[in-house]
Amino acid sequence: MEIFPALLSVITDPMLLFAIVLAAVVGMIVGATPGLTASAAIAMLLPITFYMSPLFALAFLYVIGKSGRYGGSIAAILFNTPGTAASAATQIDGYPLARAGKAGKAMKVATISSVIGDFMGDVLLVVGVGFIAAIALKLGPPETFAIYFAAFVVIGSVIGKSIVKGLASALLGILVAMVGLDPISSEERYTFGSFDLSNGIGLVPLMIGVFVLGEVFAQLEERRKATGETQENESSASGNELTWEEYKPCLPHALRGGFIGAGIGVLPGLGSAIAAFISYGEGKRRAKNPEQWGRGALEGVAAPEAANNAVSGPSMAPLLTLGIPGSTIGAILLGVFLIHGIQVGPTLFLTDKELVYKLFACGMLGIFAYGLIGYFGATQVARLILKIPTNVLYPLIFMTAFVAAYSARGSMFDVTVMTCAGFAGWLMRKFDFNIAAFVISFVLAKGAEETFRQALLMSDGGAMIFVERPIALAFLILGVGAIAFRIRGIMKERSLAEGGLGDA
Amino acid sequence: MRAYVEGLVLATLSLVAVWGAWQVPAASPGDTWAGIVPFAASVALLFLSILLILGASRQTAGIAPVSTDKGAAFQVIALFVIALIYQQSFRWFGYLLPTAIVAPVVFYMFGVRSWIGLASSAVLCPLIFHIIFFVLLGVFPPYGEVFDLLSWIQG
Repeated sequence: MEIFPALLSVITDPMLLFAIVLAAVVGMIVGATPGLTASAAIAMLLPITFYMSPLFALAFLYVIGKSGRYGGSIAAILFNTPGTAASAATQIDGYPLARAGKAGKAMKVATISSVIGDFMGDVLLVVGVGFIAAIALKLGPPETFAIYFAAFVVIGSVIGKSIVKGLASALLGILVAMVGLDPISSEERYTFGSFDLSNGIGLVPLMIGVFVLGEVFAQLEERRKATGETQENESSASGNELTWEEYKPCLPHALRGGFIGAGIGVLPGLGSAIAAFISYGEGKRRAKNPEQWGRGALEGVAAPEAANNAVSGPSMAPLLTLGIPGSTIGAILLGVFLIHGIQVGPTLFLTDKELVYKLFACGMLGIFAYGLIGYFGATQVARLILKIPTNVLYPLIFMTAFVAAYSARGSMFDVTVMTCAGFAGWLMRKFDFNIAAFVISFVLAKGAEETFRQALLMSDGGAMIFVERPIALAFLILGVGAIAFRIRGIMKERSLAEGGLGDA
Repeated sequence: MRAYVEGLVLATLSLVAVWGAWQVPAASPGDTWAGIVPFAASVALLFLSILLILGASRQTAGIAPVSTDKGAAFQVIALFVIALIYQQSFRWFGYLLPTAIVAPVVFYMFGVRSWIGLASSAVLCPLIFHIIFFVLLGVFPPYGEVFDLLSWIQG
């Protein structure tokens, strides 16, 4: 019930309300601009949050993340270009609707479904997070390490095209996090005699490099491949309005999508793209008109949109209760908590409970803010995006990355780190390595190492402690099971592809 | 070929990481070795790189190479070199002068061909970023050891 006083407190704070509305607009624009992601925007704005109060900073970035997920649907429906990976499923039915002059109708279905899904996710978060935190408080180092291990393996193996490259990305993230002084014995690791490296690699410059500068490099490369100009599909007058009779068949798909998204959101690393595609597949399987799906069914917009937005709230649960970010946005938000000296984990609900619930309240108000703006102004946002000249936008982002990386700590070494991370991020994208796994593992590595070594000390150096304790063993099995499940899935896909070729 | 290169690069990185972890001094009695996690992670990475190389050797030779736009990759590498020089020049010339030089270059690389636009970027970019970050947010600007335009302007 802590959420109600928190909501009241946020509603009566005009500055916070302004930040929420501003974040909703920024997130929508960023999400709808192909090539720009909410992660990039948040990473770029991260240093500015040094100068804000913790709640203001967290609420601003959290709502950008939420609104950015929704904004992706605008580009997917109107321009046939998903603004985010998560909105690729929306594109399947959204774009045919726009081609049929029903862009406004599709946008309204996307907006309502996003709001329903996001709100469901947030309600489940508010109800369940205290319960998870109470359990997390009872976990010892072996159990916590086993959860970290499962998170590394799931993040590395489930997302992306290749398990090996996904796991390699996660391991590279761990190795980069190991640079600097060992926090327990103060021994130098991977410093090669450099004083700058002994302080370790900063989270903020790494994030800005990988997400912002890396994206600028990728966009420079994309410019040569781009063909023609993006054009908006005009809506007819009747294609702009949405009636209750039209939305009614979409509602069950939105509600189901909300539950699917919320369930997937709790699992670290799976993300909204997977939720959207599962929801789309499940919706099509249960639909009364499956033949219409893919040709412009409104239900085909509702199902993935509800799911990809429902991920947002629950993905905060592992972050806040265990310190394990479930997404790249979660990893960046963890940076904001650390910048403001707030220790994330089960004790957060003892030390900063009020802040956490106020953040949830801001998230809920953010949903309504982007819902209202999207319902009445999505097409205007789309027109604005068409007017943004990308040949001016990306050089400006390039410049901002340097000054933002410097501003974080006033350190020139951070700027060097950011530059190298940007190039590494571009290389990882180019060679299909998994950036999300790299960044999340970088963030998790220190906590995982600490719990691993504490567990070893508890058992006088024996690794059997991880097997003897049932919860730890269960999570280790979960990690190994995730790899086995993924390998089975890939082999199934391959045999199907080979069968298909054989038939041809 | 590409898979081989990826595997070999990862193997090299992991060997450097194994060597780096091996340099960490042994633990004092009753403590755990500080190199245990880096060592385990680098050995695991070595194992994955071997898997990548084995996977590459199993790929059929008949697969056509993926066409790559080398010009685009060279452009990215050129921008990376500019980025490296740009960040290094902060230390020598402060923030304003390098930004005034690099801004039009980057705009040009992204396709801006208007001379007025390029010239105005040389003035507006350093000015706007300086005002936002170093005046409004109060960040202390980097000082140029060789020549600092800001100090010169401020007398």
